[in-house]
Amino acid sequence: MRRGVGAGAIAKKKLAEAKYKERGNVLAEDQIVQMSKQLETFKSNLEEFASKHKQEIRKSSQFRVQFQEMCATIGVDPLASGKGFWSEMLGVGDFYYELGVQIIEVCLALKHRNGGLITLDELHQRVLKGRGKYAQDVSQDDLVRAIKKLKVMGSGFGMIPVGGSYLVQSVPAELNMDHTVVLQLAEDHLLKEGLAWLDSQAPGEAQYWLPALFSELTHRDVTPEEANQMTP
Amino acid sequence: MSFEWPWQYNFPPFFTLQPNVDTRQKQLAAWCSLALSYCRHHKLYTLDVMEAQESPVFNNKKIERKLSMEAIQVVFEELRKKGNLEWLDKNKSRCLVMWRRPEEWGKLIYQWVSKNGMVNSVFTLYELSNGDDTEGEEFHGLEEWMLLRSLQALQTEGKGEIITMDDGKGVKFF
Repeated sequence: MRRGVGAGAIAKKKLAEAKYKERGNVLAEDQIVQMSKQLETFKSNLEEFASKHKQEIRKSSQFRVQFQEMCATIGVDPLASGKGFWSEMLGVGDFYYELGVQIIEVCLALKHRNGGLITLDELHQRVLKGRGKYAQDVSQDDLVRAIKKLKVMGSGFGMIPVGGSYLVQSVPAELNMDHTVVLQLAEDHLLKEGLAWLDSQAPGEAQYWLPALFSELTHRDVTPEEANQMTP
Repeated sequence: MSFEWPWQYNFPPFFTLQPNVDTRQKQLAAWCSLALSYCRHHKLYTLDVMEAQESPVFNNKKIERKLSMEAIQVVFEELRKKGNLEWLDKNKSRCLVMWRRPEEWGKLIYQWVSKNGMVNSVFTLYELSNGDDTEGEEFHGLEEWMLLRSLQALQTEGKGEIITMDDGKGVKFF
């Protein structure tokens, strides 16, 4: 039989196309079914994983980081909502929620001393201290995530990048920043708020100092009396 | 025992008079406290303003900061208002520093007197401030003008009477 063009051939072609298309649809459907099945399996594997590792998630900060990264690749945010699979199965939300509360406590307790600005390092030290003997490991990554969640709730929390780390701000205040070496802040504002002290004897231009960043203070315990001496 | 500097002493802005009113209040309170404890530690009873500028209290060479003359005057005025300082001259170049007020000294002296069962005795001023018996007491070495004021405070309280003797003053305790 000769392959050729002609009405018959066209019709055949069309039929073939139709059949391929149908087949394509079938294949696509197949794939979808397959995929659903896989997702189901994935979901139940994940659930199993979750319950097996729930303890570890609470205990190990390194595990938590990797877990978070894994979720991010899949496109899942385990902290997205208080309900649902992740928080119920893993209690991940609980962990960060509790951490958030601790962070707020530390910041409120020190606000009268540093005006509501604290370095991430110091926050970390104090949170660890507050957690005590049963201390579950808490990393700075954990703090950052918890603070991000606090931000979303509109609690006045924010983070300001400084050097390689962050300043955690727990009081709403307008801060202008220059990303060069140190925090450069609106002169009037910080002085007005009592967050900064003026140093007019610095070589060159006048400088501003934040008691909150004065390392001699952050690395030792300050008595309540000393604390009152710092900010109004 | 060496003098312990407060944290503010190494904080450069501490040596600049702060523009913010509230911050300045905190600053001045800290300066007053530092000046008084320094004088107390070194048993200084008078200060000369010119010398003060170069004294380690107001001049921290390590961090290259010092209080300006204007700022020192502000601190001194603050101390005066609190009753811890008195100018000796109109030009405000020298002053008396009372890191302990006369009443407080009077109390200490009287305590020593009664503890040693010496009420009703007479002492010369010299015996009180420089006598062997008082060595080791905080008021030992107290300068005469301060001692006199302290005894005057006791007198007002009816706990003693200042008497004039041949070669000086003395006090009888009741």
